Amino acid sequence: MQQKILEIKNLSKSYGETVALANFSLDLGKGEVLGLLGPNGAGKTTLISILSGTLRGFSGGVAFKGQDLFADRNLRNLIGIVPQEMAFYEELNAMENLMFWGGLYAIPEKELKKRAQELLTVVELGARAREPIKKFSGGMKRRLNIAIGLIHKPELLLLDEPTVGIDVQAKVSILDIIRDVGRQGTAVVFTTHQLAEVEQACSRIAIMDKGTILAQGTLAELIRIVGEKEIVEVSGEFSADAFSAIIRQSDGNGMEILSVADNQAHLAFADSQAIPAMMQHLFGHHLPISDLKIKSPNLEAVFLKMTGRSLRD
Amino acid sequence: MSRTTLIIRNDIKRRLKAPMATILFLIIPLAMTAVIGMVFDPGADNRTKLPPIRLLVVDNDKDLAAKFLLGALDQKELKDMFQVTLTDAAAGEALMRKGKASAMLVIPERFSDDLADQKPTALEVVRNPGEEFLPGVAEEFAATLAVGFSGLAQVFAGELKVIRSVRNLSLESVTIADMTPFLETARAKIIALKTYLSPMLLSVAATTTKKPGQENRPSGFNIFSYIFPGMLIMFLLFIVEPSLREIQNERADGKTRRMMFSPLTGRELVTARIFSGWLLGVLVSLLAMAAGTLLFGIDWGNLLLQLALVAAACFCCAALFAMLNAFFRNKNQAGAFASPIILVFSAFGGSMLPLEQLPAGMRWIGGFTVNHWFITGCRKIMDGHAPVASLAVLAAAGLFFAAIAMVALPRRLDA
Ligand SMILES: Nc1ncnc2c1ncn2[C@@H]1O[C@H](COP(=O)(O)OP(=O)(O)OP(=O)(O)O)[C@@H](O)[C@H]1O
Ligand SMILES: [Mg+2]
Repeated sequence: MQQKILEIKNLSKSYGETVALANFSLDLGKGEVLGLLGPNGAGKTTLISILSGTLRGFSGGVAFKGQDLFADRNLRNLIGIVPQEMAFYEELNAMENLMFWGGLYAIPEKELKKRAQELLTVVELGARAREPIKKFSGGMKRRLNIAIGLIHKPELLLLDEPTVGIDVQAKVSILDIIRDVGRQGTAVVFTTHQLAEVEQACSRIAIMDKGTILAQGTLAELIRIVGEKEIVEVSGEFSADAFSAIIRQSDGNGMEILSVADNQAHLAFADSQAIPAMMQHLFGHHLPISDLKIKSPNLEAVFLKMTGRSLRD
Repeated sequence: MSRTTLIIRNDIKRRLKAPMATILFLIIPLAMTAVIGMVFDPGADNRTKLPPIRLLVVDNDKDLAAKFLLGALDQKELKDMFQVTLTDAAAGEALMRKGKASAMLVIPERFSDDLADQKPTALEVVRNPGEEFLPGVAEEFAATLAVGFSGLAQVFAGELKVIRSVRNLSLESVTIADMTPFLETARAKIIALKTYLSPMLLSVAATTTKKPGQENRPSGFNIFSYIFPGMLIMFLLFIVEPSLREIQNERADGKTRRMMFSPLTGRELVTARIFSGWLLGVLVSLLAMAAGTLLFGIDWGNLLLQLALVAAACFCCAALFAMLNAFFRNKNQAGAFASPIILVFSAFGGSMLPLEQLPAGMRWIGGFTVNHWFITGCRKIMDGHAPVASLAVLAAAGLFFAAIAMVALPRRLDA
């Protein structure tokens, strides 16, 4: 068994009526890269805020390297954070930002400068270290945001949606950086609502919704939850109720309903031979279908099965 | 370098990298002072016109010269300058205590007779101790009158005797208009003779109610030094405030979360922000004061005292906003409340209207503002006194606000 770096036990947090976290538990081993997959409002940022100590009024506990994270403030210094927002000073350039944020950790100036230069190379900003940040693209800002989180060589890096709002190429580059960080022994938790990202970059994946973990494991383990099934995505001008009513009249035949929403539904079939019969049933009831897709089991299907809804916003 | 120093250095560096806001807050008060100063004083000479000074006149003479003096106060130019109320000594002092007047001019008994007989006499100006500047203007005016009257009485001694001898002609029918041609011809004579008018027949005895022993105002009133301190403190509030609001912005944009993962504590951050707000305020004040001297010829008085006052005022401003930000829930609230608070402070504290012009109730409320204490302190120093009360109040209030901020604000961060 790997040494545990982070153990989160039964964290719960509500904002008035809104439950943001509900008995949230999660373990993380050294050097593990965990993707925390959750739709908007799942509680990802709330979790990171609690870990940072900036949010109170929760129940449950967090152990970092076997010690209570909230009992000893110094433990937090071993954690690096990349907030969802661009948490740096736009008036300063990249180098100045790294020197400032690193300065908070009392790293000797020479060492800090060296480390800052290294990191700028890692995030491919070496040549633009002294340019005004206002001229940076979204992807460049995201990369600087990550570099700052790494300035003090943390043992655990928390990233809150590090790829929001940037183009595909910039995303790939950020996922590469995250993977490399993990390879160098830093444990990583990153939250996202992008399936493709966790599939690419993570050694382990946790699916969360409504403040709790619904399933976790490696990609292969998660896909096993759905089983060796064929996934059918049905789209058209129908309501969720109409679709459910028609489906109920069929004999099922080993079919599982993953999700039903207006205009789109997902069905899983253990036996692909049963698919044509079901389609005939749907067309027979004049369901206005515009598109049909057959997919092999993937993370999306797992997510649909666990949450009953699609991950999109 | 300590973490606190690092934050302060970073704050100042950032404010200097994006200096437009700060520069504007330095230029606007100078510009407004210039504009207001020019509205009150369209001429090149910046020593005369002011908002109307509420002047009480006690006429114990009720004779020709007093009548003439009152008539002079009724002249167009002087009417703009003085709002004259005739009263008696007792009622006058009561009015001044209530803050209803800036000064009281007492025309002594036998004023007309003494002038006509070439005997020395004295106009008395009683200053309202609650005010610094306007009574001084009244006094200076009386001094000018004294020169004029002395001159008139000496040069036209003969004529005066004649007029007195035909007093049964009914004094009431003599008007300033009748006198004007007479004055015109007299003026050239007076100017020419001014240097020879000695000894002066008429002198001015200035007193201040309740505060005996107060020095006479130095002559040379500068309208800009009357306006500028109020403008300066208003814009100091605007300059210091963003340093403290930054704490709210950083909560919203993730920087606080990032800071709280580092060894930096909430208390260190609050300390640093109060200090950087203070430092910026002091630097800008010094620049502004230098500009005030260069552009408007303002004489600030003892510069060390001014520095102490500015330091205390900036500290009070910074601590005040640190405390307020502990009560603002987020940056939107901080943004929405900051300007109205500053404007209300400025309106009640004497930045927008001179303290002397505010109704008593407003002035009382003004006593709770940084503006009031800074402005009165500033004038004290210009008057050659130590602003003890202002320094004490600003420092004590600053310490009080800072203490609350130190407890309450870190909870918003490291919570
Ligand atoms: N300050 C707050 N006051 C009230 N409710 C809040 C507050 N912050 C978050 N919530 C609620 O708590 C729930 C979890 O929010 P959180 O920001 O943790 O979600 P998230 O997973 O980070 O979502 P996103 O993908 O949009 O960033 C949401 O329902 C949200 O509306
Ligand atoms: Mg979030």
